[in-house]
Amino acid sequence: MKQLTELATPFASVDTTLGNDVQWLKAQRLKALAVFNKQGLPSKKEEDWKYTSLWELSQQEFTHQASESTITAEQVEQAALLGDSYRLVIADGIFSAELSNLTNLPEGLFICPLSSEQGLAKAQPHLGQQVELAKAGFNALNMLLMNDGYMIAVKAEAQIDKPIEVLVINSGATQHLATHLRNVVVMEENCKATLIEHYVGLSDAVSLTNVITEVVLSSDAELNHYKLQQESPNAFHIATLSANQGRGSQWNTSSIALGAKLARTDVQSKLVGQESHTTMDGLYIVTGEQHVDHHTRIDHTVPNTTSEELYKGVLDEQSHAVFNGKVIVHKDAQKTDANQQNHNLLLSRGCEIDTKPEMEIYADDVKSAHGSTVGQINEDNLFFLRARGLDEVTARSLLTYAFAVDVLERISSATIREALSAQVEKHLPKGGKVL
Amino acid sequence: MAEQQAEKEQIDDVLAGDYQAGFVTDIEVDSLPPGLTEDTVREISRIKGEPEFLLEWRLQAYRHWLTLETPEWAHVHYPEVDYQAISYYSAPKKKTDGPKSLDEVDPELLKTYEKLGVPLDERARLAGVAVDAVFDSVSVANTFQDKLAEEGILFMPFSKAVHEHPELIKKYLGSVVSYKDNFYAALNSALFSDGSFVYIPKGKRCPMELSTYFRINAANTGQFERTLIIADDDAYVSYLEGCTAPMRDDNQLHAAVVELVAHDRAEIKYSTVQNWYPGDENGKGGIFNFVTKRAACRGESSKVSWTQVETGSAVTWKYPSVILQGDNSIGEFYSVAVTNNLQQADTGTKMIHLGKNTSSTIISKGISAGRSENSYRGLVRIGPNAENARNHTECDSLLMGDQCGAHTFPYIEVKNPTAQVEHEASTSKISEDQLFYCKQRGMDVEDAVSMIVNGFCKDVMRQLPMEFAVEAQNLLGLSLEGSVG
Repeated sequence: MKQLTELATPFASVDTTLGNDVQWLKAQRLKALAVFNKQGLPSKKEEDWKYTSLWELSQQEFTHQASESTITAEQVEQAALLGDSYRLVIADGIFSAELSNLTNLPEGLFICPLSSEQGLAKAQPHLGQQVELAKAGFNALNMLLMNDGYMIAVKAEAQIDKPIEVLVINSGATQHLATHLRNVVVMEENCKATLIEHYVGLSDAVSLTNVITEVVLSSDAELNHYKLQQESPNAFHIATLSANQGRGSQWNTSSIALGAKLARTDVQSKLVGQESHTTMDGLYIVTGEQHVDHHTRIDHTVPNTTSEELYKGVLDEQSHAVFNGKVIVHKDAQKTDANQQNHNLLLSRGCEIDTKPEMEIYADDVKSAHGSTVGQINEDNLFFLRARGLDEVTARSLLTYAFAVDVLERISSATIREALSAQVEKHLPKGGKVL
Repeated sequence: MAEQQAEKEQIDDVLAGDYQAGFVTDIEVDSLPPGLTEDTVREISRIKGEPEFLLEWRLQAYRHWLTLETPEWAHVHYPEVDYQAISYYSAPKKKTDGPKSLDEVDPELLKTYEKLGVPLDERARLAGVAVDAVFDSVSVANTFQDKLAEEGILFMPFSKAVHEHPELIKKYLGSVVSYKDNFYAALNSALFSDGSFVYIPKGKRCPMELSTYFRINAANTGQFERTLIIADDDAYVSYLEGCTAPMRDDNQLHAAVVELVAHDRAEIKYSTVQNWYPGDENGKGGIFNFVTKRAACRGESSKVSWTQVETGSAVTWKYPSVILQGDNSIGEFYSVAVTNNLQQADTGTKMIHLGKNTSSTIISKGISAGRSENSYRGLVRIGPNAENARNHTECDSLLMGDQCGAHTFPYIEVKNPTAQVEHEASTSKISEDQLFYCKQRGMDVEDAVSMIVNGFCKDVMRQLPMEFAVEAQNLLGLSLEGSVG
């Protein structure tokens, strides 16, 4: 038995609100239902879920009916990462026009919720293209129950001036709320945009967010795509970001995971056009009994593509982090240049890291390297700072910050970099302990 | 372009070279008919006149094996093995009660060793090597027994040790690799034919390199070796294992189990050169090599070092591991794995850190050519009580040609915050520049490639004992000569 099939929540019989009268969606959902009924959710016996147990999740009774959202504009303003942005707000699982700021969109930028007729129609050709329905059970579940999300399209040659912030905010007013979101980003030729997906929990309520973002990058398109996860300390967060990259395109991602009780993020890129590039970065900072899992996969399918990956983790208290990075250089993908790094800082007794940087290489003329380390604060560095008059706590905090900030420094937009740095700094364990 | 073409032809010529150790010795063989039932297990035990406890253990293993499924997680593909079509025992026919000296050994057998270069007779003494030569399943000759006996060192066929030292067998057999460990370990535990047994008593340093050659000879017999090496407190031993097998068409199964136990301050160095028949250039034939090798560093400051040069077999599935139980114990793994044509190798190590201040080093060099697949799969686990554990891992792959694959699957699991673990891996090919440089100085392509590959593997090769280093370098050259263009 490889799956968890006995789920406390009867997902298969939940009524959906989105697109119940849309024929093509109904057909896809039927297919998804069959897959989900067969698969359930993955158990630890599946290689991809070896270190992450969904047992607790499977025992939760989630509801798919949110009571009316009480989230105020003020709360949104406070939670939002960026002041000046195009903002799409999904409050307690449903798009909120009042809380969003989608007026005065520049020419070439289309943003609308998936729950709108226009959004769904525009998303149709792209749904399910970048993710495998049969994978992990969550993809099928998402297709089956998706009730909102966003659809972003950027026209050819458009250079979007301001970043787009998608704020998914959960007030906690409804206990055990499950939200299934599906997002689509379509970047036409030679356009450029910056997008941040921001998941926030305002209380400590139990919740489930199951989100899939599918990205299509045409030739020479460039998307800076960030994700900041600050869900409630009792939340379950399951996310997939998956992109298909055309010739000369660039997809720069950074996944910052700070919240949630259990967070699993899959980031995947398929480089199908020559001279395309992926940056796949991530930072996870966990404490208490948090569990965070990142699975990344980069497929170099054609010659002359490059990828650069840096994931860093700071683990405190009884937390558990998992990293699995896969770089696949397909046959004939000559002149690939792939670099993957994963570094982890352990601050406390009781924490656990399981890391697995994988490479599969089927071409000979490639430059490919990976590295992975697990360690603690360097005593020499600490001594250096102490000798200059810093107290132990300040010195340790500074070194922890220095370790983590590497990832943020690779973010090109200064506004986003600074905003994320501020969040990370707030979240970092202070002082640390002498082991 | 023309030059490249010429080089390619040259490569093809070399790659088409025949397997040099491929010959079949024609001697009479005592075999069990093909098939596997509980009776097969009982029969093997009966032939070997084993004590009751061992039969019982075999049967437990067999019953457990029946409940297991063939593991499929490795990055290898091969036709399903029909366990009922294999004969599980074959022994060279005995003249009366077996040979008492070299003169009594079947001359055909001696010729085989000669062809393989085993220094069994006079040359053995000159080379200073004690050979416990395993011909198919039964050990036929031991040398240097007296000298070793003087030191109190036990080095004998497993089947002999069962009778002479049952207390040691009882104590240690299955203590590192339980019959429940995995599919092939269970199979081996039920059916093992013979192997080597080594015991180094307290404070003794084995005065010579212990060496054994394994050969698979009779057609369609699986070979299930069982090796057990125990180094008591402050003891030291270096053990060499080398393999070649004759050419044939049917895939042959080899599922060996090697158990090493190192007590306080003891050190075991285990070196392997594996050159079994890899199959022809179309992937026909070749050995399936599914081996479980594991060492337990039981005592404090003990050390186990695995060194392997893997050039043979059609499919290799092998992860020599070290369990670092004793405080300050050390585990090392040095590996060169070469795959060519349609060979597949999924090999690596496991370092399980349990004791304090334990350290491990992993150096793995994979070379893929032809249409082969070469994977490194390793695990470094730091337990919650392994204070100040250290691990350093380096995995480098060299690809020759655009039809082969090189893969890395390292698992790192850390549960102690004082641990320091580093893993690095890289992939490269022999660059045009390197080749050009060598050719410009008058070397031909083959010598240049051989030199570059030997340089690539140097870190591992220098861990091999002298006796093996030469053979290993020859093998490397043979397996790869000119496979780059």
